[in-house]
Amino acid sequence: MTQDEKTTHPHIPELVNQLKKGEIDRRQFVQSAAVLGVSAAAAYAMVGATPRDAHAQGTPKFGGNLRVSMNVKEVSDPAIFDWGEKGNVARHIIEPLVQIDKNNVAQPHLAESWNVSDDLKTWTFNLRKGVKWSNGDEFGSDDVIANFERWLDPATGSSNQGRFSSMTETVETGEKDDNGKPKMTTKMASGALERVDAHTVRFHLNRADLSLPESMADYPALIAHRDFNGGDWSKNPVGTGAFSLDRFGVGEVAVLKKRNAPHWNGDVYLDQITYIDNGDDPAAEIAAFASGQVDTNYQTSVEQVPTMRGLPNIEVMQAVTAQAGVARMKVTEAPFDNLKVRQAVQACLDRSRILEVVYGGFGAVGYDYHVAPVHPEHAELPALKQDYAKAKRLLAEAGHPNGLKLRIDCVANPTWEQNTCKAIAEMVKPAGIDMEINIMPGGTYWDRWLSTPFGFTSWTHRALGVQVLNLAYRSGVAWNETSYNNPEFDKLLDEAGGLADVNERRKVMAKVQKVLQDDAVIAQTFWRSVFVSRSTRVKNIYAQVAFEHHYNKAWLA
Amino acid sequence: MLLFISKRFGLMVLTMLIVSLLLFVLLELQPGNVATKVLGPYSSEEQRTLWLEANGYLKPLWTRYLSWLGGMVTGDFGESIRFKTPVADILWPRLWNSAILAFWTFAILVPLSLTLGVLAGMREGSALDRAISITSIITTSVPEFASAVFLSAIFVFSLGLLPGTSGMTDGFDPLQLFLPVMVLILYDVGYVTRMTRASMAEVMTTPYIRTAVLKGLPFRRVVFRHALRNALIAPFTVIMLQVNWLLSGVIVVEFFFAYKGFGGLLLEASLNQDIFLIEACTMVAVFVAVSTQTLADIGYTYLNPRIRLS
Repeated sequence: MTQDEKTTHPHIPELVNQLKKGEIDRRQFVQSAAVLGVSAAAAYAMVGATPRDAHAQGTPKFGGNLRVSMNVKEVSDPAIFDWGEKGNVARHIIEPLVQIDKNNVAQPHLAESWNVSDDLKTWTFNLRKGVKWSNGDEFGSDDVIANFERWLDPATGSSNQGRFSSMTETVETGEKDDNGKPKMTTKMASGALERVDAHTVRFHLNRADLSLPESMADYPALIAHRDFNGGDWSKNPVGTGAFSLDRFGVGEVAVLKKRNAPHWNGDVYLDQITYIDNGDDPAAEIAAFASGQVDTNYQTSVEQVPTMRGLPNIEVMQAVTAQAGVARMKVTEAPFDNLKVRQAVQACLDRSRILEVVYGGFGAVGYDYHVAPVHPEHAELPALKQDYAKAKRLLAEAGHPNGLKLRIDCVANPTWEQNTCKAIAEMVKPAGIDMEINIMPGGTYWDRWLSTPFGFTSWTHRALGVQVLNLAYRSGVAWNETSYNNPEFDKLLDEAGGLADVNERRKVMAKVQKVLQDDAVIAQTFWRSVFVSRSTRVKNIYAQVAFEHHYNKAWLA
Repeated sequence: MLLFISKRFGLMVLTMLIVSLLLFVLLELQPGNVATKVLGPYSSEEQRTLWLEANGYLKPLWTRYLSWLGGMVTGDFGESIRFKTPVADILWPRLWNSAILAFWTFAILVPLSLTLGVLAGMREGSALDRAISITSIITTSVPEFASAVFLSAIFVFSLGLLPGTSGMTDGFDPLQLFLPVMVLILYDVGYVTRMTRASMAEVMTTPYIRTAVLKGLPFRRVVFRHALRNALIAPFTVIMLQVNWLLSGVIVVEFFFAYKGFGGLLLEASLNQDIFLIEACTMVAVFVAVSTQTLADIGYTYLNPRIRLS
């Protein structure tokens, strides 16, 4: 099995299957496969067409210095990292247990494998053996335990406390505050983490948590040496990674040199990675690319994509994410309490057109069920088509034969949000819906996002589809902005959330998605892409949903 | 004269004290914000309180102000939130980088603009004067962000002659100084030229110059021996004020070329609400502003005998 096949998105075999059965057409197959990181040529190859550039990357070459334009921020304590940039510098020195690959799939890293009990509360992680720290120590359970203990200690101030809240408990400190109420503290629950042996740890969670492996891949969850206990990590960065920190100046430069020791994951090609801080002016970064001072970067914004594409020998890579905006309709408010009104809005939309005009076509179309193609458990459903006759019929049946007036609340910035609303407004017009757009400052919108009858809300990327659905569409949860209340949906979602096997979960997700889509509580028309630029001499790097850099296998032509 | 100088210095210290108080009250009245800034938005109330206590933020405001002021005077500016190192460790290298930029800008700007100004002013209304004046007005009215883009388009994107950014990642590289210095000179040369020209033109109309000309002295001698000395007094003050501009007014240029100078640092500190760094940068900028002003005043008094003698 080659590296590529190993990291293929788990949804690909299912897609091939659906294509064979004729449930999706060839174009849909290639599009979906592309979103999941498979090149069009490779996708065609999978279904028996001729592969064209199967091995375009060539043979890796050793040596060279990869220069990356990125803000260089302080890295004094990995546990309290709050920016992806910090994680990128540190990730080549200290490594996570789990890594989210280019297909948005959790891959074993320092953890070799894991398994979970049926109730999703007991997780056993088998750690990689024979991994050495740069100071000669052997990596093992004690390192993992020391890190978790530090993360979950409130005095550390780590965001991991929230990330691993299924491992914490809130208890009284014994002290009283000024009002005489007992002071509370949140700490690691006793017995939450068990040392099975030198290379096995077991997590005993106080509630089911399907996304535990994904949480371990986040940038504040890089595993530092067991002896690190605060102080400035960058002064003595002991690591298991392939690189060591050679020179570091916040706001200026970070130089990583390849270590003189074999890495557990085999060959590492680059001799050096240099992170160069070009400040926050996109013009500076573009000029640096133009004059060949940098080879790749952290992020290229959608506005800069055409400029970058215009530069010679620069290529813009994209990663489709699960970030999306939803025009959500509150089912408890007129006229959206009528299912047919919501379905009429849904029927008016040409999703690929909206993606094209609003976001330059960079992303993937959405079909109103808020599970993204990059989610491992995403099930492909038949595409929704624009159908004005259906929309008019639905409106007439709902008692609005002469049309309808709607008003959507929307934030002013970023502009793609209001532009999406404008595109939707244009598309519902032929059906007789007069949609007014009420643009307001972000702060104002976030005061009313849960209560407004019709609003446009942007949701961030989450690794698993069930995470988003649990947060936003389950009956009665805090962020259920549509007041959607469907016991059947909840039941199916429970079922899906209880399945650790992705392929099993996908079968249930097909039903979950269909229910949500049919109930038409949201118009979710596209998934946004993020972009990373690179010079064509840089090989084997990719845009990752969370802007993570994985350069162990990168090389320079 | 001594009394004058000590008065000026007293005023200087007073100004700085007032600024420091304003700065401290504006930035440090709500310590809760500092903890959120350091620990990030996802930190819990408990985590923030523990941090504030550990870092002395729960002490009364005046105690904190006095210890902060004491630190400032002795060169201990506290620790930067963004850089996680003592502010002094970042501030001085950045200030030095700005000084390098300022030095080269000055080294070209001062002789160039004085020469052009004198050439234009010594024959007011001549073709040369018109040409210099019009060019000056044009270059001065093009803002730095426009000329930076323009010069980059030519030298980086079209000709590919110069590096696009000036981060000096691999040590000092004179090539990387070209563009920022060019932009700064282009912007400022017109202004100083115009000032010199005005001063020169005024001197040329004075009776003693007319006398010198009528007395039959060669024009060159009139200009060099008689006009120049008096004509350069006003430009001296103007040039002193440019020092100030080269410190904190070059933010645009430093930002555009990713030059690691003081202006860029000030901007970075503000954007990231790095409180101690903002405080230190502001105090340094204020110090430079008031001291160049004081020096300009003293120098002007010294150069102009009419003020000195009265």
